[in-house]
Amino acid sequence: MSQPASVPFVASLGDAALPASGIAWLDALRREHLAAFAVAGLPDTRMEAWKYTALRALGQRRYANGDAQAATRAIDMAAFALPGVDGPRLVFVNGVFRADLSALDALPAGLTLQPLVQALRQDAEPLRFALSRHEPERGDAFVRLNAALAADGVVLKVAPGAKIAAPVHLVFLGAPADGELAWHLRHVIELGEGAELALVEHHAAAGEQQHLGTLVGDITLRDGAVLRHVLFQQAATGSSLIRHSRLQLGARAQAMLHVLELGGALVRHDLRVELVGDGARLDTRGVFMPHGRQHIDTQLAIRHQGLNTTSDSVWRGVADQRGRGVFRGAILVAPGADGSDASLSNKNLLLSGQAEIDTKPELEIYADEVKAAHGATVGQLDERALFYLRSRGIPLVEARALLTGAFCRAVLDDLPNAALREHLTGLLAVELPA
Amino acid sequence: MSSATIDSTNTALRDNAGVAEALGRNYSAGFVTEIEMTGLPPGLDEETIRALSAIKREPEWMTEWRLAAYRHWLTMPQPDWAKLKMDAIDYQAISYYAAPKVAPKSLDEVDPALLETYEKLGVPLHERAALAGVAVDAVFDSVSVGTTFRKQLAEAGVIFCSMSEAIREHPELVQQYLGSVVPTGDNFFAALNSAVFSDGSFVFIPKGVRCPMELSTYFRINAQNTGQFERTLIVAEEGAHVSYLEGCTAPKRDENQLHAAVVELVALERAQIKYSTVQNWYPGDENGVGGIYNLVTKRGDCRGDDSKISWTQVETGSAITWKYPSVVLRGDRSVGEFHSVALTHHYQQADTGTKMIHIGKDTKSKIVSKGISAGKSNNSYRGLVKVEKGAERARNYTQCDSLLIGKKCGAHTFPYMEVKNPSAIVEHEATTSKISDDQLFYCRSRGIGEEDAVSMIVDGFCKQVFRELPMEFAVEAKKLLEVSLEGAIG
Repeated sequence: MSQPASVPFVASLGDAALPASGIAWLDALRREHLAAFAVAGLPDTRMEAWKYTALRALGQRRYANGDAQAATRAIDMAAFALPGVDGPRLVFVNGVFRADLSALDALPAGLTLQPLVQALRQDAEPLRFALSRHEPERGDAFVRLNAALAADGVVLKVAPGAKIAAPVHLVFLGAPADGELAWHLRHVIELGEGAELALVEHHAAAGEQQHLGTLVGDITLRDGAVLRHVLFQQAATGSSLIRHSRLQLGARAQAMLHVLELGGALVRHDLRVELVGDGARLDTRGVFMPHGRQHIDTQLAIRHQGLNTTSDSVWRGVADQRGRGVFRGAILVAPGADGSDASLSNKNLLLSGQAEIDTKPELEIYADEVKAAHGATVGQLDERALFYLRSRGIPLVEARALLTGAFCRAVLDDLPNAALREHLTGLLAVELPA
Repeated sequence: MSSATIDSTNTALRDNAGVAEALGRNYSAGFVTEIEMTGLPPGLDEETIRALSAIKREPEWMTEWRLAAYRHWLTMPQPDWAKLKMDAIDYQAISYYAAPKVAPKSLDEVDPALLETYEKLGVPLHERAALAGVAVDAVFDSVSVGTTFRKQLAEAGVIFCSMSEAIREHPELVQQYLGSVVPTGDNFFAALNSAVFSDGSFVFIPKGVRCPMELSTYFRINAQNTGQFERTLIVAEEGAHVSYLEGCTAPKRDENQLHAAVVELVALERAQIKYSTVQNWYPGDENGVGGIYNLVTKRGDCRGDDSKISWTQVETGSAITWKYPSVVLRGDRSVGEFHSVALTHHYQQADTGTKMIHIGKDTKSKIVSKGISAGKSNNSYRGLVKVEKGAERARNYTQCDSLLIGKKCGAHTFPYMEVKNPSAIVEHEATTSKISDDQLFYCRSRGIGEEDAVSMIVDGFCKQVFRELPMEFAVEAKKLLEVSLEGAIG
């Protein structure tokens, strides 16, 4: 690897102006992280975690950090409304919070929802632990970059026992600007004991652009908390989006995650889940559909640590044209985590001779009272099913669309929000390769 | 030592009593005088390699080949990606040519624990001595099994000899094929092996010949101490068939801690090679002290259309196993198979699996891997299935199952799937579980003791792989697992 400083990407962001918080520990932390990023640079494909995602092209790009005009960019929020999602809303445009587009009036009792900047101004101390936690050695270049340059983000807290009925809508929009921008957001989300929340994380494009967004988030579920999280990603086809989330579950806590990855040019999602408390349960469902020249990489790592924890993951990939789908689904059962029940399935359709799927399900098991299974396939539509449909008079194109649709829909079937499910299912059908 | 030292007769095969008597005798004192020289001092540099090559009376091109590999090796770092905890290896502390050791003179001088293991495994009496490294009297050689075999092979046109002999006798074949599957610079250990390999087997099956016997049978009786850097090359020409078995179910005594072997298989059009391994090197004691590092590169090249290479392995020994027998499916309609049982106990560590590289059209591969972890051991499956762009209709099926016995062991699965052709179908399935209490209860309620019940269940778990072994080895492999698992329960 060449010297990090000679890589245009590192050169353009390695000495970006740090956001000033006026909080001594935070400013020091940001300085450290930026220095570490400038020294280490970007990972290359010799690193196991980046084996299938080359950052050479990204490395050649230069980004301006932050968008000074974000507050004045005209956005029509109606275009980003989602059926069934009518709760409080927090909107960021190019990484900048837009109070005028958000809906934070009359928050339900027990819910705290505010931009990070505001939360830090009120009282930074409760956030200190979370913000200091992503140590540089665990994170990669983007976690460092984010820790240094993320001025804002979402702080969401649900009080113990509070059950928030209306889904919270977090909207991250990329809007065209004069050049290519890099923006960064840092989230801290916590559900108190027995709290319940539905969350919709929504990435969308307010016009075509080639920005880079990095998002790092910590989600903590205390004992008995329940989170239903939908991640709907439809960013601009030229943009890059790098996310790093950490989800921690206490005893009997439950998280259900539905992921739809449709947009973006270079998309990477590192999702680390720790089932710390006894009886914790995680369900993940996801579909990624790279086409054109999209590269979509999901790195899911689930750690079973408590007793009698459960995880069930179902992921589907459809790669068409020159798209490349990368999936890693790693399950680790820690020593003593008896009663763990883990299963993971990743099925993929490869629809073009230029597309590629790289999948790597992993099991790392250190306890014996466990059930762990995974399966992965890469293939194409069942010829017999296609033949059957055609013999019933359905044209080939339609038959293919029907079967591909059915292949992907499995991941949305158990999404509890019916209106949203219907909307996303319809959207899937539109996005499906013809 | 010549093969005559450990041959036995057909009569002896049937008459164990006679064999026992013969084994019990002391050998005439002069027997071990074949030693040619005292070996090289520890250390590795170009001089060592020249000296080694000279001792083996190798031609110039071979010496140069070794030196080129050595120079490349110097530029390579030792890989650290496997899930293995391994002490640093001091390559300068190893002697790269050891003179044959003074063998124990009779079974009476052999460690009784070893003899007890042979008893449990049911190793035929006449083989025990050979396995224990006893220099067996030439009394068996009169109508030697080996001689009969050699005659039969020669008639068929099969070349089966040591690598050193092949370099001298068949240089054109060795030059054509050696390093053509595993290039000298392929990986750190393969480069080291290429530089310093001691000996190994060379098999050449000419066009259209079906090898008249399983080379295993021959090999088992005639196995010689091939040293720690073994190099094997098997070439099957158009339409040729061969089955080869390496190793032995019985624990083999060995003084060398590091084993870095390279095995290359070449299958031309319609050729079939079946390579079976039973590996039971010394695994170290219950506390993880000692034991062999088995760091092996094995690769088969289905070079011709309609060829087939199948690997079967039963790995129970070694403190550390690092081994990924692979198949490059170059020819159209070629087939690759990998069947594996890997058992680890105490502090053993195994990181083993396979690679199937689909290049030709309509290529097929099948992977069945069974891992059993007991004690404080760690057992990983690591595999790659790669389908290149031109591999139309390639098909792979992978099944990896792991069984955990005990609370302190680990079982891991790291499959990689890289698919670039839309008409390919690649499937992977893996499960990890412990022996089910229900199964155990059922067996016990039928009056079967716990240890027996466990070995029954383990045997069932491995059956799919044992089926692929030559028959007599399948029986022994089953017993081998029983013995290896002793003390794992409760």
